[in-house]
Amino acid sequence: MTIAINPLRPASGPPRDYRFPPFTRQRLANGLTVWLVPVEGSRLASVFLLADAGAAAEDEARGGVAALTAQLLVSGTQRLDAGAFAEATERLGIEMSSESSWDSSRAAFQALPDQLEPGMALLAEMLRAPRFDPGEFERLQAERLTDILQARADPGRLADESFIGYLYDADTPYHRPSAGLPETVEQLTVADVRAHHATHYAPGLAHLIVAGAFDPEAVVRAAERELGGWSGSGPGHRTFAPRPAANRRVVIVDRPGSVQTELRIGRIGIDRFNPHYFPALVESTLLGGMFWSRLQRRVREELGYTYGIRCGFDPRRAAGPFNTTTAVQTDVTASAIAEILALLEAAPQAPPEQDELEQARTFQVGVFPLRFEATVGIAAAIEPIAIYGLPDDYWQRYRAQIEAVDGTQAQRAAAELIRPDEMLVLAVGDATAIRDEVEALGIGPTQVVAAP
Amino acid sequence: MPDIPIERHTLPNGLRVVLSQDNRAPIVAVDLWYDVGSKHEKPGKTGFAHLFEHLMFQGSAHVAKGEHFSLIQAAGGTGNASTWFDRTNYFEALPSHELELALWLESDRLASLLPAITQEKLDNQREVVKNERRWSYDNQPYGSWPEQMHALIYPPEHPYHHQPIGSMEDLDAASLDDVRQFFATWYAPNNAVLTVAGDFDQAAALALIERHFGPIPANPALPAGPDVSIAPIIGQELREERRDRVPLPRTYLAYRMPVFGSQGFDELEVAVDLLGAGRASRLYAALVRDQQVAQDVVVFAFPLVGGATIFTCWATARPEVEHQVVEEALLTEIQRLTDEGPAPAELERVRNLHAAGVESSLERISERADRLSMYTCLFDEPQRINAEVSRYAAVGGERVQAAMQATLRPDNRLVMTYLPAEQPDGEP
Repeated sequence: MTIAINPLRPASGPPRDYRFPPFTRQRLANGLTVWLVPVEGSRLASVFLLADAGAAAEDEARGGVAALTAQLLVSGTQRLDAGAFAEATERLGIEMSSESSWDSSRAAFQALPDQLEPGMALLAEMLRAPRFDPGEFERLQAERLTDILQARADPGRLADESFIGYLYDADTPYHRPSAGLPETVEQLTVADVRAHHATHYAPGLAHLIVAGAFDPEAVVRAAERELGGWSGSGPGHRTFAPRPAANRRVVIVDRPGSVQTELRIGRIGIDRFNPHYFPALVESTLLGGMFWSRLQRRVREELGYTYGIRCGFDPRRAAGPFNTTTAVQTDVTASAIAEILALLEAAPQAPPEQDELEQARTFQVGVFPLRFEATVGIAAAIEPIAIYGLPDDYWQRYRAQIEAVDGTQAQRAAAELIRPDEMLVLAVGDATAIRDEVEALGIGPTQVVAAP
Repeated sequence: MPDIPIERHTLPNGLRVVLSQDNRAPIVAVDLWYDVGSKHEKPGKTGFAHLFEHLMFQGSAHVAKGEHFSLIQAAGGTGNASTWFDRTNYFEALPSHELELALWLESDRLASLLPAITQEKLDNQREVVKNERRWSYDNQPYGSWPEQMHALIYPPEHPYHHQPIGSMEDLDAASLDDVRQFFATWYAPNNAVLTVAGDFDQAAALALIERHFGPIPANPALPAGPDVSIAPIIGQELREERRDRVPLPRTYLAYRMPVFGSQGFDELEVAVDLLGAGRASRLYAALVRDQQVAQDVVVFAFPLVGGATIFTCWATARPEVEHQVVEEALLTEIQRLTDEGPAPAELERVRNLHAAGVESSLERISERADRLSMYTCLFDEPQRINAEVSRYAAVGGERVQAAMQATLRPDNRLVMTYLPAEQPDGEP
C-alpha cells in the first residue's frame, strides 16, 4: 500500500535560540573554587567536588591508588562507618559517588532541593574526615583485583585494556587502566590511600560545582560552613609526554572459541589543548562519531560485518588515544580490518564531501542543548572549564567553533592525526581462525599473544 | 511529586496521541510505540519483530536507505528504536523547529515501508542483527542468562519463553514474505501511540500530526494479542547449572511475579529496592560488605505485562568462595526480610531514593515521551507517569511482606548457577 501524501521532506521552522545557562564562580579564602549554575525550572541539584587527585597525580609505582582512594571515601567517615554512611546518605535519597579518572577525582551526588544542604554536609565530612577503615580497604582492593579478572574475561574490556597496553610505551602512564593493574594494586596498603588523600585532596586546586535548583546565597554559606575550614593546596598532577610503543603493527590477543573478533584500531591522538580540537571533533564525527558515519555506512550498512562501529578521540591533559572500535564476526576479521584501514587512509587524502561535513557540524550543534537537559549534564559541562582552565565563555562559543570548521581544516586535522600507517591494529579473537588471513593482509608485523 | 503536562487525542484512524509541552529548551522528543513485540512472534519466527525494526530504517516510499538517520543527523538530532517482549518503539530527539521532519519520517515508513524493502536490505540487516546477537549474548561471559532464565521460567508454548533477539536459525529463515505479513498485520495507526514532548505549540503540533498520520488507514482486522496466561507460581523449585566460559561462579534466583502495572508489582518493586538499591540495601550490606562472599549483587523485576513477569537477583562469587555459599546467603537474606518486613527507616530510604530517581529520569524530554507512550500503549493511562512516586510511597511494610511471602517462595523459584569451564555447555 502506498499513500500518496507528503512526498517531500518538510521545511524547517524558524530555529529558536538556546544559551548554555550563565554561571558564576568565586574562590573561598582557602582556595576552593565554587561554581554556581542555577537552572530555571530545574527540580534537582547536582553537586560535584573535583580534586586534582586523579591517576595523573599518583605515584606510578602505586598505580591505582587514586581510584582506590576515591572508592574508599564512600566507605564512611570517622563518625559513621561504611554501613551508617550509606544509610545516612540514602535516607536523604542521595547516592553518593566518588571516582577517579586520569585528570581528576570526583565526589558527586544529586538531590531534591530540600536535601541539598544535608547532602553537602555529608560530602564534606567524607572528604575531610574519611574513615579509611583497613577492613574496607582490603575489601575494595580485592574487588578491584576481581574486577580486573572479570574485565579480562569480557572480550570488549580485554580489547580496551590490551589496546592501550600495546599502544603506549610502558613509561607512559596511559599504557594501563587509570584504576591500575594487578601488579601495583595488590601492593597497595591503606597507608598509601591515606597518603594519597593527605597529599592530593586539598581545596587549593579543588572545585565545587553546583547546578540546578538551589538558592545561591544559601549554597555559598553551606560551602563556607562545611568546606571553609579545609586547608592545603597539594602538588597537583604530574606532566608527561605520551610516547607510542612502536610503529604500525598487528597484535592478536588469543581468545579461543570467540564467535566475534573485537577490534581496536588507532594511534595516540590529541590532548585537550590541541589546536586541531574542533576540526578533529568534526572529522571524527563524520568518520565514526554519529550513526550514519562513513564507517557505519560501509562496515555495517553495506557489508553487515558488525552491529556497530565508531571512532573518536579521547583528549586528556596529555594525548589520549584515537580509537576505532567494533566487533565483527570471526570469519570476516581480515576483511573488516582492510575495509577500516582503507576508510581511515582515505580521510587525509581529500576534504570531506560538503554534505557529510555539513551533517557532522549540524549534528554536533543540534545535539548541544540535548546534552544539558539534565542538571548532571550541566554540572559535567563545567568540569572541563574548571580542570583544564578553558575560558568561561567556552560553551557560549562552542557551536560557533564547530560551525567554523571547513573542509580544509578537517582534512588537515586528519592528515595530522589520523595516520593509518602508524596505527596499532589490536584484535581479541580466535587466533587459530583469524591469524593467517590477518597476516596475509601484509599491513605490518603480526604478533599473537595469550590473554593476560 | 512529578507534574508532567499531558494532553490526549485520538485520530479517526485510531492513532493515540499524547502531547506534553515544555518550552524551556528548544528541543522536542518524538516517541512512537507499536503494540507489537517478540511475544507476537509465531513459532519458528523468533527474533522477527526486532529484525523488522531494523528494516524500518532501510527506507520507505520517499526516504532512501540511510536517509532516515542522515536527515535526523543533518537536522541536529538523534534517534533509534528498540524491541522488547511486549512492544517496539521508534524515537527521535531534535531541535524543536525540526519537529515536522521527525513526524514526516515516522509517518512515511508507517504509510509506505513495503515498496522500499528488498532482499538485499533484508540480507544486510539479518547479518547486522546476527552480529548484535553475537555481541550481546554469544561472545559475552554470562551472556546467555536471560535466554536461559526465560526458557526455564516460561513453558515452551508461552510467548515470553524466547528472547526478542531470537535464534540464529530463525533469523536465517526470515523472508520478504514474513516482512510483508508482519507489517500488514501490526504496523497500523490503531496499534500505535505517538507522544511528542518538549518545545512546541499544542495546536500546531496536533495539526502536523493530523496532516502526516491522518491519511494512513487503520487495520480493521487487527488481531488480538497472544495468549499469555500462565500459573502465577511455578509449582516446584527448578535448578539449572551451566558450565560456561566465565571467570567466576554466578548464582541467579528467579521467581514468577505479578505483572508490571499491578499492585503486586508495586509491592515487589519496593522489595527489589530494599534488597538491592544502594549500599545500604540488604543484599549489598550482607553479601558484598559484611560477609564479603560476593563481588556484586543485582536485583530487579522485568516490567512485562503478560500473565506473569520475573523477579530476579544475582550475585557473583568472590574468588575462592563456593557458589553454594552465595546461594545460601542470597536465600537467607531474602527470607530474613520476608520474615521481618522492612523497618520504617528502610522504607524511608527506598522511597526517597525512588522519588529522587524519578525526578532525575523525568528531566529528559525523551524519557518523558518514552514513559508516556509506554503507559498509554500498555495501560491506556498516560497519567500513570505522574503517579509513580505516589504509588511507590503508598506501599506499606505489611504489603511488601505479604507480597514477598506470596512470591519469593521455594516452590516458585529457579536457582541457576554459572560455573567456570574450559568447554562451555551447548545450547539448551
